[in-house]
Amino acid sequence: MSRALLRAGGAGAVLVLGVGLTACGSSAAEEVDITEKTLGAMDSYSVGDQFTATEALSFPVLYSEHPNYPIKDDWLFWQELTERTNVTLEPTIVPMSDYEQKRSLLVGAGDAPVLLPKTYPGQETPFVSSGAVLPVSEYLDLMPNFTDKVERWGLEDNLDTLRQEDGDFYVLPGLHENPWQDYTIAVREDIMAELGLEAPSDWDEFRDVLRAVKAAYPDMYPLSDRFNVPTPGGNFLNIVAMTFGTSAGWGYDDATFDEASGEFEYTGATDEQRDFIEYVASLVDEGLIDPESFTQDDDTAIQKFTTGRSFAISTNAQTVVNDYRPTLDTNVPEAEVGKIPLPAGPAGDVISGATQLENGIMISSAATEREDFVAMMQFIDWLWYSDAGLEFAKWGVEGTTFTKDADGKRVLADDIDFIGLNPGAPKHLQKDFGFSNGVFAYGGPTELLQSTFSDEELEFQEVMADKESLPLAPPYPFSEGEREQATLLETPLKDYTSQMTLQFILGQRDLGEWDAYLAELEGKGASTYIDLVNGAADRFAEANG
Amino acid sequence: MKDSRGYRVFQIVNGVVLLGVVFVTLYPFLNIIAQSFSGETFIRAGQVNLVPLGFNTTTYQLVMGDETFWRSYGNTVLYTVVATAIAMLLTTTYAYVISKKGIRGRGLLIGIAVFTMFFNGGLIPNYVLISSLGLTNSIWAIVLPNAISVFNLLVMKAFFENLPSELEEAAQIDGLSTYGILLRIVLPLSKAVIATMVLFYAVTFWNSWFQAFLYLNQQELFPVTIYLRNLIAGASTASSLGSGGGDLAQVASNVKAVTMVLTVLPILCVYPFIQRYFVSGVMLGSVKG
Repeated sequence: MSRALLRAGGAGAVLVLGVGLTACGSSAAEEVDITEKTLGAMDSYSVGDQFTATEALSFPVLYSEHPNYPIKDDWLFWQELTERTNVTLEPTIVPMSDYEQKRSLLVGAGDAPVLLPKTYPGQETPFVSSGAVLPVSEYLDLMPNFTDKVERWGLEDNLDTLRQEDGDFYVLPGLHENPWQDYTIAVREDIMAELGLEAPSDWDEFRDVLRAVKAAYPDMYPLSDRFNVPTPGGNFLNIVAMTFGTSAGWGYDDATFDEASGEFEYTGATDEQRDFIEYVASLVDEGLIDPESFTQDDDTAIQKFTTGRSFAISTNAQTVVNDYRPTLDTNVPEAEVGKIPLPAGPAGDVISGATQLENGIMISSAATEREDFVAMMQFIDWLWYSDAGLEFAKWGVEGTTFTKDADGKRVLADDIDFIGLNPGAPKHLQKDFGFSNGVFAYGGPTELLQSTFSDEELEFQEVMADKESLPLAPPYPFSEGEREQATLLETPLKDYTSQMTLQFILGQRDLGEWDAYLAELEGKGASTYIDLVNGAADRFAEANG
Repeated sequence: MKDSRGYRVFQIVNGVVLLGVVFVTLYPFLNIIAQSFSGETFIRAGQVNLVPLGFNTTTYQLVMGDETFWRSYGNTVLYTVVATAIAMLLTTTYAYVISKKGIRGRGLLIGIAVFTMFFNGGLIPNYVLISSLGLTNSIWAIVLPNAISVFNLLVMKAFFENLPSELEEAAQIDGLSTYGILLRIVLPLSKAVIATMVLFYAVTFWNSWFQAFLYLNQQELFPVTIYLRNLIAGASTASSLGSGGGDLAQVASNVKAVTMVLTVLPILCVYPFIQRYFVSGVMLGSVKG
C-alpha cells in the first residue's frame, strides 16, 4: 500500500511537471471558423426546444465511476438519451477516487475525450495556458438554455469569477437558481427540548446553548467536531468565519475583498478575522468544544456523537440520515437529531453567494475540429441546462421511473428507491436506471433541486432561503508571471495562517501577540501577495469594464 | 549446556516483545475480519474490536452477489497469472545471460537494466508510449511494462553466479546445449529462488492498481484493486461539496471490510506453500562464501 501511495504521489509530481511543460506549446484560443461544423446540428434551436441531432452522432466523454452505482450498458439513461437526442455517449471510465489525476494525464498526453465533466471551478486553470481546453465563453451563442438561465437567475457576476486573464472562461459550470447552504451543525434536539432551549439565531445564542448543555451534562462535550480534512475544522470554521465577514476552514481564501475601500486585504490580518478567532477561542476556553475537535478523524467524532458523548457536530443533510440517526437510534433510543439553521454573525444573516456555481464541463479544444461541433454544443446545452434535460437526468422518464401529480410534484415509481424515498423497493434509480448520476445531474431550478429533499430538509431550506447572500469578490485573474509568483507566496501564507488561527483558537498562543503575528505575516509576503491581487483586479476591471 | 540466567531473561523479554509485535501486526487484519461480519451501526459506533457484533453474513452475500466484483476479481487473477508467467520467463532468461561472466556485451546488458532503476520517462511520456503502441485497454498494458523488476533480476543473477560452474561444464561435456543446461541443470537447482520470485511478482501484480488505472478505460477490464480503491477512497471525501444528494452517499463500512477480506484472502493463501523456499530464497546471493 505504502508503495502504491508513494507512486501515486510521485506520479502527481510528474503530472504537474507534465502539465507545466505542455504549457510551453501552442498559444491559447485562436479564432476558429465554425460555420462549416454543423453536421447533425439543428437549424433553429432555442429555449424549450427538444434537441435532436439530424443524424446519429456520438461524443466521447470522460466518466467518473461512482462506487455506489457502477456503470451499466443497459441503463435506461443511455437508451432514452439516444432516443431523444440521436446522440450516443462513449464513456472513458475512470474511478472516482482518482478522477482528477487521470483527467490531467489525458489532457497532458493530448488523449482526452472531448467532454470533461465534473470539473470544479478553478480546476481548469492549469490547462488554460497550454490551449488544451476550449474557451467556452466564446461559443455561448450556441447555447440558448445556458444563456437564458444565466440571464434570468442573474449569474453574470458569478461567471465573472471564472474568467481568466484573457477575459474568457474555460469551464461550463453547473448553475443553481438560488444560493443554498447544506452544511451546518446537527444537535441533539431531545436535549434542547429537555432544557427548554430554542434553536440559536446567532453565534452568541449558540454559545449560550452550549453553556446550558455543559451545565446540565458536565460529562458531555457540547461540541465535538468532524470534517478536518483537508483543513482542520473544515466546516465549522468555514461557516462561522463566513458570518463574521472573513474566511477560514474549507472556504479559506488568502484575499478578502473589502467593500468599503474597494480593495483586497490579506484575510488572516483583517479585524474580522480577529473577531472570529476571539469568538471560537472563547468556546474552547470555556470548555465548550472538545479539544480534539480540529484534529480527530470523522469516525472518532461520529462515534462520540452517536454514543451520546457529544451534543453537537457538523453535518450536511445526508450525514444526519446516514451517519448519525441509525447508530444513535441503537445506542441512545430517546435521542433526536436535527440540523439547526445556520446562525447569523456580525456580517449579518448571510450565506455564501458562491454556491450558485457547481462543478461543470470542460471541453477539449480539439472539439472545434469536429464536423459536429455545433451539434455538440447544442447537445450539452440541452442535457445539462434545459429544464427538460435537467429533469430527465435527475428523475428519468415520466411514466416509467416517476409520475407527476396535479401540482407538478414528482413521485418516484413504487418499485424504485433513491436516497430512502421508497425504502425496500427492489430497484434503485441510480444503480438500475442510471439517473441522478453525479456526472449528468446537478444544478438547475430550486424547485428541481428540492424535489428529492425530505420534509425535514425542506423546512431547513425554507428558513435558509430568507438569508441574504454575501456579495461576490471581483475576479482577479493572474497573468502567467504573476501566477508563478503568487503560487510561491500563497501556500506558505495559507499554511501559516491556518496554523496560527488554530493556535490562537486553542489558546496555545495568546491573542495579545496579534501584532507580532501580523508582522510575521508581513515577513512571509502578505502585502506583496495582496499587491499582486489588487493589480490583477484593477487590470481586469479596466479591460472588461 | 545450560543457558545462563541472563539469557533466559532475555528470551522471555524477547518473546513478550515479539508477541506484542505480532499482536500489533495482526490486529488490523482481525479487526477488518470482525467488521466484515458485523452490523453497520456497531462499526459506526466504534464498538467492533476483535469480536463481531451483530453477527451476520448478509454483507458477504451482498458483495458476492455483485457481478462487478467478480468480474474485477477474475481480471485480477488473469492479470496476475499472465503477468507472473511473462515476468518469470523474461527475468530468468535475462538473469541467466548476465550471470555468465565471459559473455560479450554483458556490461551493456546490465547497464541497460540498472539504468531504469534510476531514470524513467515520466508519467505522460510513458502514457503516450503505451497508447501509441496500441496497448491501452488491453491486458498487455498491464503485463508488459513491468515485466522485469530490476531488483528481482539482480537477486537472480547473484544466485546463478553462485552455482558451481563445474556443473555446467560437466553438462557441456556430456553434450547438453546452452538451453539444455538452463532447462535441465540450472532451473531444477534454482527452485528456491524461482519460488521466491514467483511470490514477489505475484504479490506485486495482485496489489498493483496504478498501471490499470492509467491504461484501462473500461469497467469490464478493471482489476479488483481499482474496484476496492474506488470503494474506499471514492466516495468518502467531502470534496463533492455542494453537489447533489446522490453524490454524497458513502459506502457502508462493512461492505468495505468484506471487500478487503475477499481481496486479501487468495494472496494470503499462497504464502504458506511458498514459505519454506522463502527465507532461503531471499538470503540467496546476499552472502558469498
